[in-house]
Amino acid sequence: MATERLTIPATPRTPEIDFDFASGRLALRGESYPDDVATLFGPVVAALREHLAEPSDAPLHVAIELVYFNSSSAKVLMTIFQLLEAAARQGRPVTVDWYCDPDDETMREFGEDFSEDLEHVAFSLREAADRDS
Amino acid sequence: MAATLGQEYAAFKRELDSKGIIFSFSGYLSEGILFSLGEALREKMTLEDADGPTVRRVFSVFVEQMQNIIRYSAEKIVANDGRTIELSAGMVTIGMEGGKFFIVCGNTVRNGDVPRLRERLDFLKGLDKDGIKAHYREQLREAPDEGSRGATIGLIEIARRASEPIEYDFAATDTDKTFFCLKVRI
Repeated sequence: MATERLTIPATPRTPEIDFDFASGRLALRGESYPDDVATLFGPVVAALREHLAEPSDAPLHVAIELVYFNSSSAKVLMTIFQLLEAAARQGRPVTVDWYCDPDDETMREFGEDFSEDLEHVAFSLREAADRDS
Repeated sequence: MAATLGQEYAAFKRELDSKGIIFSFSGYLSEGILFSLGEALREKMTLEDADGPTVRRVFSVFVEQMQNIIRYSAEKIVANDGRTIELSAGMVTIGMEGGKFFIVCGNTVRNGDVPRLRERLDFLKGLDKDGIKAHYREQLREAPDEGSRGATIGLIEIARRASEPIEYDFAATDTDKTFFCLKVRI
């Protein structure tokens, strides 16, 4: 059976990961510069891939609330975005909210780097202060 | 007369201070040291009222530089007793010069790896801000190179956060290894 919910608590150098597939809400929050990116994210990407392999038209909401991530984590995020885009192309409604502080030019620019070739995923840049609304 | 222990180390410290060095570490680096030095670096910069974006840029360059040493130093001890521990020889120096933060990392690389590394760095150095950004976006979408463990994108991230062109050098040694260093100003 596919994973219903995958949660990994945050550490000082890894984000809180909460992929609640059953309710269609996925979130990454905090900082990400793990000592071994494959050990942390391998199972997460595998669970997402498995979930998306099942055809579904249930909406998927993804919240990215990262304040810092290193370049190895960036590669993983790109993989996640590519999986989401492929699912959205097949007709699954996918929204991604990318939260960043208004003064954080770097994270805003990263949002643009990732969203550049998204055609089917509805991507929004949001200010961190809006996250609870 | 030979310098006393105190004189010797006071002179060593004065020399570091005169170069504006805030932290300097030489020896075996690990992910644990990266984490601890990184925390100290952020705290020190925040206490000195460095603005948020500068703290984040310096921290990002620091992490990428440290991870490059940990992964690619040619002098490395790897233990694998259930969890992998990498101890890699190298040095990292962070300081301030002319009102700007700088980070220098140094480590040995195998002679055979020098041409490819030099080619990547030469290419990055020749790009302007928009060129670096476009190159980053392109590499983000590429599958990683064989055996690179993400070095390509790490170097682009470093160049992207720099406020001046990156500086690097290779110093031949009499072995099959070359000393490589990279200086980045934020």
